[in-house]
Amino acid sequence: MRLTRRDRIVLFAPLAMLLGGWLVVPAALGLFATFTTYSPFTTTIQLAGFANYAAVVQDPQFGAAIRNIAVFTTLAVPLELAVGFGIAYLLRRPMKGRALWRVLLLAPWLVSPIAGGVMWHFLFGGATGILDFAGGWLRLPDVASPIGDLRFALLAAIAVEVWRMAPFVSFLLLPGMLSIPKERWEEATLAGASRIQQIRHVAIPELRTLLLTVGMLLVGLSFGAFDTILILTGGGPGTATLTPALYSYGRAFQTNDWPVGAASGWLIAAGVIAVGVVYIRLARDRRTR
Amino acid sequence: MTRVILLLAALTAFLLPLVWTALASVGVLPDNSTTPPSWKGPLTLAHFTEIGIAEPAFWQELATSTASAVCAAALTVCVSFLGAYGLARSHFRAGRLLTQGFLVLASLPVMAYIVPLSDLVRRAHLSDTFAGVVLAEAAVTAPLAVFVLHGALALLSPEWEEAAVLDGAGLFRVLGQVVLPLVAPSVAATAIVLFVIDWNLLLVPLVLTSGQVKTVPVGMSDFFTFERELDWPTAAAALIVSLAPLALLVGLFHRLLESFRLDASNGRDIG
Repeated sequence: MRLTRRDRIVLFAPLAMLLGGWLVVPAALGLFATFTTYSPFTTTIQLAGFANYAAVVQDPQFGAAIRNIAVFTTLAVPLELAVGFGIAYLLRRPMKGRALWRVLLLAPWLVSPIAGGVMWHFLFGGATGILDFAGGWLRLPDVASPIGDLRFALLAAIAVEVWRMAPFVSFLLLPGMLSIPKERWEEATLAGASRIQQIRHVAIPELRTLLLTVGMLLVGLSFGAFDTILILTGGGPGTATLTPALYSYGRAFQTNDWPVGAASGWLIAAGVIAVGVVYIRLARDRRTR
Repeated sequence: MTRVILLLAALTAFLLPLVWTALASVGVLPDNSTTPPSWKGPLTLAHFTEIGIAEPAFWQELATSTASAVCAAALTVCVSFLGAYGLARSHFRAGRLLTQGFLVLASLPVMAYIVPLSDLVRRAHLSDTFAGVVLAEAAVTAPLAVFVLHGALALLSPEWEEAAVLDGAGLFRVLGQVVLPLVAPSVAATAIVLFVIDWNLLLVPLVLTSGQVKTVPVGMSDFFTFERELDWPTAAAALIVSLAPLALLVGLFHRLLESFRLDASNGRDIG
């Protein structure tokens, strides 16, 4: 229907109030505050320029957090997309009980990130865990929990993230996979395309925008990685699994270094926005072509 | 055949950790000290009653989690439905850019703005209140809801609405009697997904509350921040109980969830 001015106000005002009051305005005020010495606990406020950001960037802990999150994102996101895509591809043809498969595959995502952390803390552990149990059958010596090991802690955190999100990715990709017209698969089969070629020339181009959209959400999720790691390792051992979100939380709420916490929070936002610009560009390409 | 084997392998890998947890919650535990490892422990439901001893407020937290997630998801769906409909029918020149902007906003981690938000909420005297948690959770998930619902609404042909307008229907009659019935499955599926996301949020209730209003995820974070030694079977029982409402919801409505599409008008040139 054609919307009148009044209709538009009725439609947009609630959303504008909710997002404005609880997201955009706090974020903007927070950005402003990061250029001052403002903190909820001080009475005098002075302009600080980039001092807060300089403090964050020069902090070796934050440097470690950035390195960790770069590794985390470059491993977790492609893995989640690949595994999710693979499962969706396997489920694309009708089969007995497909609805049941889909629901069961949603189960890991239903476990909250923090509950996932609690669960894997014990599953990785020696006395109660899966790893040591399996190791015992293979007659290996006792398998120590990877979350206490400098070399494996980050990989363990990535594994938990992939376990939780990859099946959900398949849930998001499957409707797109099912809406690919049958003829496209048949054409490819007639042209003698192998399975790999089918995926490359049929499935991926058809799902391009959806894959980009899911990828964007996953990158945001990785950049904000917090809940699971808080429980699993608390950022340790040392700074092996420290993430920018854990850093920011620690500064703002635990060491009461409010301006530094707010500034590092904004650096996370800047990272997501930068990826967002790339996403918008890539997802538009096809329409203009 | 390979397809079924591969799928079974994937399903086993993803569900085994949950099965392991479910077994522990009823007292079936691995015994890794024997060679080869074996199982021990009689079947018991005692660990479920121990939850209330380890965390006396657990059942209260479960109720708070449910109530806040229901309220937040309902609020988000209503507000986002109106906004998404407005977007779908406004023909803004930058419409596509705007919806993509909502997706980027949906990807923004809560940590990026929770620090200043907590300060504002405190100044508005909403910290540690149910309303504060619900409103913040609703705002966190609204951008995703707008993106998803816009995808469903943009696919609707406006003809039905035009016919109702000719019959003299106003905005709310058009929305309630024409639009909503056509997209009801998508709206319901979105509401379920939002409920799950809200239920599982940690940072929002963690930062905005200090004990009066407590959700299950915040309760779980206590165990480790206060370094209380937690017994695995009891933790497993708590995990299973906190998973049960979501599993029930998703199990009951799995047909509806099949109509959940992240970007329904994906790839098609719709205004």
